[in-house]
Amino acid sequence: MTDKTYPAMQDEKLQRLSRRGFITRVAGTGAVMAAGAIPRELWAQAAEAPKPPADPAGTMPNTAVMAEKSPLMKLHSERPLTGSVPAEAHNFAVTPNDRMFVRNNLLTPDIDASKHRVTIKGLVDNEVSFSADELKKSFPVVSMQGMLECAGSGRLAYVPNASGTPWLQTGGMGCPKWTGVRLRDVLRAAGIKPGAAHVAGQGGDFGVIASAAPVIRSVPLSKAMEENTLLAFGMNDGPLPKIHGYPLRLVVPGWVGSASTKWLHTVTLLAAQFKGTFMDSSYRIPRTAVRPGEKMPPDAVVTEAWPVKSMITYPAPNAVFKAGKPVLIEGRAWVGEGAIDKVEVSFNEGASWQRAAINSGGGKYAWRIFSHEFWPQTQGYVTVLARATDEKGNVQPIVSAWNPLGYFWNGIHRVGFMVET
Amino acid sequence: MTRSRASRLAATAAAILLFAASGVAVSPLSAQDAAPSKTLAPGKGADLTMARCALCHEIAHVTRARLSRGEWQDNVRNMIERGMPIAPEEIPIVVDYLATYYNRDTAAPTPDPAAAAEAAAQDPVQRLLADNACVSCHGVEQKIVGPSFREVAVRYAGDGGAGARLAAKIKAGGAGVWGAVPMPPHPGLSDAQLAQMTNWILSRK
Repeated sequence: MTDKTYPAMQDEKLQRLSRRGFITRVAGTGAVMAAGAIPRELWAQAAEAPKPPADPAGTMPNTAVMAEKSPLMKLHSERPLTGSVPAEAHNFAVTPNDRMFVRNNLLTPDIDASKHRVTIKGLVDNEVSFSADELKKSFPVVSMQGMLECAGSGRLAYVPNASGTPWLQTGGMGCPKWTGVRLRDVLRAAGIKPGAAHVAGQGGDFGVIASAAPVIRSVPLSKAMEENTLLAFGMNDGPLPKIHGYPLRLVVPGWVGSASTKWLHTVTLLAAQFKGTFMDSSYRIPRTAVRPGEKMPPDAVVTEAWPVKSMITYPAPNAVFKAGKPVLIEGRAWVGEGAIDKVEVSFNEGASWQRAAINSGGGKYAWRIFSHEFWPQTQGYVTVLARATDEKGNVQPIVSAWNPLGYFWNGIHRVGFMVET
Repeated sequence: MTRSRASRLAATAAAILLFAASGVAVSPLSAQDAAPSKTLAPGKGADLTMARCALCHEIAHVTRARLSRGEWQDNVRNMIERGMPIAPEEIPIVVDYLATYYNRDTAAPTPDPAAAAEAAAQDPVQRLLADNACVSCHGVEQKIVGPSFREVAVRYAGDGGAGARLAAKIKAGGAGVWGAVPMPPHPGLSDAQLAQMTNWILSRK
């Protein structure tokens, strides 16, 4: 099963790719290669690659980022910095800053807000640029509670393991309150030209080498014009924390987190989806399921809105309760576009399901809080399962369809706890 | 079936059983959740792979993974798109190494005694510099991401306290002395290893 799907020509393709950009064949690198050092000629070219337009003063060290995070946050990677808290640490109506997941592709830039501007360009009548303060003065300021979830959230649940950041089964998401101006107001101020169909965001994060590809993602114009898509400068009634995009970020609620560009400095209106590695090679999923272990098929599509999903936030795994007293099971349910129709819970491994109560919710893109009062009658270990259904009738699967990059895990979450007499 | 293959299969089976049978909402793949190795398995191409990959990301992204050869080819292609500096002739060496030692379908070969002997005979400082990806960012003569080892030695020439400060800097990481790009911390290095490295670096002048 190893190589059948991968013809030898792929190696040539790889070589062409490495020649195409800044890298050329280097003669006589053998001796240097043995030590692994980058040949001088390669390095010279890598260092000449264009730098991102933002000019941050420097970077924020991981220790400074983590000092602002809950001790419950587990790092999945230090370079690049990624981390999340598990489901049982998400038992808040609105995700506090210290519980919001962290997912960098590059370093954490430390940006001087007094010099930072966002430029709207591309298929616009007038290229315009604003500081965060100018945005506040020029457009209506709005707040909304909105879901963001990394596309790879839950990746470790896939069998066999999929390539990428090892996100735990739960927790690579959050639903904070965002404050900013509507992206559509700013785009209209620039004047949207006929033919504009996609909107790309670019941020001021940078890598250790100048040749590191900028993380540029685009969304269709319709999503950019949705009233909840924000140019945000606030999070939970304060400024954006640096790790979450200070001084300015996109918030594209309900969609994969990478669409919500942090440290935003450029918004470009395009006639078609942006062409770049973070659109064409990453953040893609097969149209139809592939055999586990296969590579990405050529007709894969870009990940957009998250499918219906839920998690149990109370109790914590292996909590202990007394028989005869109620346990208020609690959790969160959400879907990237649309609405949650119902959440059900099961105490017999899915043989039968009961409706949980759900709250009215914090808005179109906010998660819903569900709860269910469980009366343990006898001593023993209890397992609760939760599954959500959206208004279109999509229901969470037992196990999500495997895909090569391990995106969109939305399998049913289960938590076990102990009941003692 | 080799021992490592058998134990890996056992771990996978245990993980699947855990997922199927346990009511506990721990990560279903606890077996993969163990801290992955921070060094690469010794083998042909290991040092080159460490140097190219660990320039931008920690090597645990490699050592935790078990992928097919095709997936590794896709991965390397993706990394080149993302700006990985690599010479064309180095690509097959890196892909072969990854597909040999971190393959989900085939067991990693047992270490070659000759290669092990060669590694043991190598200058321990060179081994440390390779294993910790120092040479990804620092050349002996050449500034890459960080300063060359010679530049460091020249800057601190005659400074009796430089060794201790340099050791602390390597261990804790950080930025500022040479530029804005931070050096990652290396908390796993012992004082003896740090002393070996700093003595060697400071004698490059």
